[in-house]
Amino acid sequence: MNATSAIIHGAVYGTIICVVILTGIAVAIWFERKFAGRMQSRLGPTMTGPVGLLQPFADVVKLLQKEDIVPRDADRGLFDLAPPLAAIASLGAAAVVPWSPKIIAADLDVGVVFVLAIGGLMVVPTFMAGWASNNKFALIGAMRAVAQSVSYGVPLVLATMVPVVLAGSLSVSGIVGWQAQHHWFALWPIIPGLPAFLLYYLAMLAESNRIPFDIPEAESELVAGITTEYTGAKFTLFYMAEYVHTMVGSAVASALFFGGWDGPFRPGLHWMVLKTLLIFASVYWVRWSLVRFRSDQLMALCWKRLTPIGLGLVFVAAAFVQFWPGGAR
Amino acid sequence: MAVNGSGDGHKRLPVYDESELTYEHPLYGAMLSVPGLSVGVTSIDAILNWGVMNSLWVFPMATSCCGIELMAAAASRVDLDRMGTIVRATPRQAEVMVIAGTITVKMAPRVKALWDQMPEPKWAIAMGSCAISGDFYRNLYAVVPGIDTVLPVDVYVPGCPPNPEALMHGLLRLKEKVALRRAGKLPPRDDRPDRLQVTKPSVARFLDPARDPAIDEQQVESALHATDTDRSDEPAAGEERASAEPPEPIASSQPSDLEALLRDEFGVAETAPKDGAPVVAVERHVALARRLRGMGYEIFTYVVATHFPEKTGKAPAPERFELAYAVRSVGKGSKVASWRLKLAPGEAAPSLVGVYAGADWQEREQWDLVGVRFAGHPDLRRIMMPENWDGHPLRKDYPADKACPPWR
Amino acid sequence: MEMSARVERAVMTMNEPQVVTVQYQSAVRGNVDPHLSIRHYDPEADMMLLHFGPQHPSTHGVFRMDLHLDGEIVVKATPYVGYLHRAVEKLCEKLSYVQQTPIVDKNDYVAPMTNEQALNMAFEKLLNVEVPRRARWMRTLFAELQRIASHLLALGTFSIDLGGALGGGSTLFIHTFRERELILDLFEEVTGMRFHYNTHTIGGQRHDLPAGFDKKVHAALDIIESRIPEYAKMTVDNAIFKDRTVGVGVLDGKLALELGITGPILRASGVDHDLRRDAPYSAYDELVPRVRVETAGDCYARTRVRFDEVTDSIALCRKAIDGMPEGPINGYKPIRQPTMAKATSGQVYVGIETPRGELGTFVVAGGDTPTSPHRLKIRSPSLHALAAIPYIMPGATVSDAVAILGSLDPIMGEVDR
Ligand code: SF4
Repeated sequence: MNATSAIIHGAVYGTIICVVILTGIAVAIWFERKFAGRMQSRLGPTMTGPVGLLQPFADVVKLLQKEDIVPRDADRGLFDLAPPLAAIASLGAAAVVPWSPKIIAADLDVGVVFVLAIGGLMVVPTFMAGWASNNKFALIGAMRAVAQSVSYGVPLVLATMVPVVLAGSLSVSGIVGWQAQHHWFALWPIIPGLPAFLLYYLAMLAESNRIPFDIPEAESELVAGITTEYTGAKFTLFYMAEYVHTMVGSAVASALFFGGWDGPFRPGLHWMVLKTLLIFASVYWVRWSLVRFRSDQLMALCWKRLTPIGLGLVFVAAAFVQFWPGGAR
Repeated sequence: MAVNGSGDGHKRLPVYDESELTYEHPLYGAMLSVPGLSVGVTSIDAILNWGVMNSLWVFPMATSCCGIELMAAAASRVDLDRMGTIVRATPRQAEVMVIAGTITVKMAPRVKALWDQMPEPKWAIAMGSCAISGDFYRNLYAVVPGIDTVLPVDVYVPGCPPNPEALMHGLLRLKEKVALRRAGKLPPRDDRPDRLQVTKPSVARFLDPARDPAIDEQQVESALHATDTDRSDEPAAGEERASAEPPEPIASSQPSDLEALLRDEFGVAETAPKDGAPVVAVERHVALARRLRGMGYEIFTYVVATHFPEKTGKAPAPERFELAYAVRSVGKGSKVASWRLKLAPGEAAPSLVGVYAGADWQEREQWDLVGVRFAGHPDLRRIMMPENWDGHPLRKDYPADKACPPWR
Repeated sequence: MEMSARVERAVMTMNEPQVVTVQYQSAVRGNVDPHLSIRHYDPEADMMLLHFGPQHPSTHGVFRMDLHLDGEIVVKATPYVGYLHRAVEKLCEKLSYVQQTPIVDKNDYVAPMTNEQALNMAFEKLLNVEVPRRARWMRTLFAELQRIASHLLALGTFSIDLGGALGGGSTLFIHTFRERELILDLFEEVTGMRFHYNTHTIGGQRHDLPAGFDKKVHAALDIIESRIPEYAKMTVDNAIFKDRTVGVGVLDGKLALELGITGPILRASGVDHDLRRDAPYSAYDELVPRVRVETAGDCYARTRVRFDEVTDSIALCRKAIDGMPEGPINGYKPIRQPTMAKATSGQVYVGIETPRGELGTFVVAGGDTPTSPHRLKIRSPSLHALAAIPYIMPGATVSDAVAILGSLDPIMGEVDR
């Protein structure tokens, strides 16, 4: 593939994937509200469109025509810059997710590193938003977000290292392809695939600020956390970014641990989407049934438990590759 | 349920000048100026309105009882989420402020500030009689007589408290109002009683698919005769019945050793006076509290200051203040020990904070509301009323309906 | 300076805020200083003043705290109340004795039944009215049903404080509200209102129980009882819930007594005190309640006490409805005009155990008109509970502050009246 065709390929698939993800997010929001409703013995949206399906679209149409308020003492430049940056950072990671052997915007050789780097970038707009709002609740939320993202980046990296070490590839599609020939990592008996997935899952919840790790937003403590001062369109971007982040995180999880597009009978795309949605739904299952941690407990959990476990897992994976008769490869 | 204005033959409610309040997003203006687009404006308007109508996010200005019903409206039986309404904690992301509960003069400036923080387009629903008119607190010094004196209200949901279903109806009415927003019209007045069917919950009532009609009859019956059990001592017409026997004095329920203590150590002559608790000398009062605390009366129960205004006429009496104190013992057979202090106007009572920390806020409250000073209190500030409040409202000479511009 | 010493420790020990100990010990010794001046604070440390309330999702109404924060650690907390001061006491001085019941309903709007009960019991004592046995049993039944409803709401709002309105907290909250509705339905059946019942009068009850009421009570209680294990799984037996509450906001029993705190909060601090058992009123001499005591005094203990009391109240309600005696429901004259109850002199106080503690009514009779009190004061348990905030907040984080406030379960209508 030469450079020009790679760019065209990337642009076409990138646009398609973005549009599909954003539409998917709308459906996901609807799904979450229905799901939460059922968990709480309510109905969720029913009046907007058939079974409330149009609810997220109504929300967006409404949010876009709201007045755009910038607080007088806010840092205008940063305040305006943060929401688009958040959207870009969260969508960017989708570039290297292989939705099928063909459908992938950019099949980078260092895809895993790219995902981690772009995902880690989310902390910048978050902190920008909290700082620029000049609101104390937002500031506390931002400080929490930084502490949390930086800390949970470590177990996240360690957990992703396990499939990388086992498959011997840094490319996401490479890892998926490897799993297609062997086993899905999550199905590996106890050591080390499944624990690595659980570790990744926890770190992903934390990175995308989901309960029980949603302390940066913590609406019962910090009103609305970093987004306290944001209105209308800018808030919409944050709102979407949050969902996209979770969605991309789930997609990466299914690629790295569940064999991505690999599966019998159906085309790869179907399997990938199905796996992603299942992981995505489980995030909401957790979200609507647990209460949240406190920030210091979160730190303790990360540094005292998850990080050592992650190191151990990487070590075990390395030893496995090295000493298994004939090697795992 | 009444939406502001409109409808002929009805007395019109004061209507805010809507033309001054309309807000358009700058993009909307830009859009209108694009040639050709304006043709499609009607349908674009329809889409924009549809978005707002179906996504009315609520900012809960829930101050009191009605707030509980607001919560109940979000819970499973009524579920506001059905119409896409969710509750946002920050005013920046809400369209509808639901004022649920009494607004006091201390709170009103905050409500106004929060209202100003909400981005346009925004609406307000006054939920409950308190928010509509102040309810029976209307004529009291501390309460704002209706939130529409502070901010423009779009829908009034009457009741004390309105049922969650009523709130939902209110939101549906607001939806109608929003739908007509860009056309510059107001929805027709809701007069038809059958309209109310909208709000009837389709869920069957708890365990009550077919209610036994006998229950209603019995209910009516018992309500009619509930108080008919004893008519023997009913006063004949025109005859004013004398008051009941003198009430049982509190002191009589106190253990005898307490009486002895009061009599012997604190020089109280009358340990069980007819009109209340025994009166203790102001200087001895802290010592008594200390002593009682040592005897196991560990819970501070109350301090009540009462103002007795100057009396003229048949039985003249000077103006005075009375402080009633009580402490309670802990555990089985818990008892209350109470005593009183009599104070001249302006005289300060020694504070009990050093003995019972629980006296802190109660003494502040009595200072705030009745104006009795407590000497030695570490922090004698107003507690209920705003810092700059004028006068002490529970004094007898303080008018109950005192004005407090600009809020009431 | 004790203050600065205290704060330095708070800064260093983020995980285990032990600072609280230092402060409340000084309070128990008698030199109370919740009014410490913050000016003595070490100026090198960066401090932020956070106005928490009066409109905040977790302040349970309109309550305000000024939190001085060092990072996320609360250094000093100053509570402010009065945002819902509705002048109820002034209003009661204007109204006659029989007119006041619906007014006090609105004080503790989560447990209106017990409000009415406290008020009318004071009037009965003032007027020397005997309450018939059936009415006393009905009062007990209503009070216990109300206790279930109130504790369910407390549990729900507390888990919202912990878990957020968009998360697991709200799931439990909505579930408890669902069960609370069952009890409101029962009350609606009797009185016609979901809350603010106006069903107690001087000398007894206004509305008799409708036919078949006992079956409905049993059915509702069965449902609630069957759901209790589910709640336990989401709260008191849940690991994260425990992490968030155990050891948070420890209130020492001595300090609690000193502050005049009563009810579940006091019992959670290890003091065995419950007016229902210790100074029985209504039918509690026959229906003796079980008193739950926890010793830890932290948020978990407070939740645990409320949680267990729900179970106890269910049992008590069953007994009350099964053994409901026949007979008249009112021992006073039928109400014909508002001015019929008169008292020229006397001062009485009656305190009862509401879901929040000792709620009392102090009445000074006489004054200008014999038909209305000269002065009426409501002793509110939540006021005292909130007074504990300056003592137990310092050393907690912002998240803990929310949890502590939620576990105190204040109802601002009752605090401010
Ligand atoms: S209208 Fe009634 S229920 Fe609502 S806040 Fe006022 S007193 Fe409470």
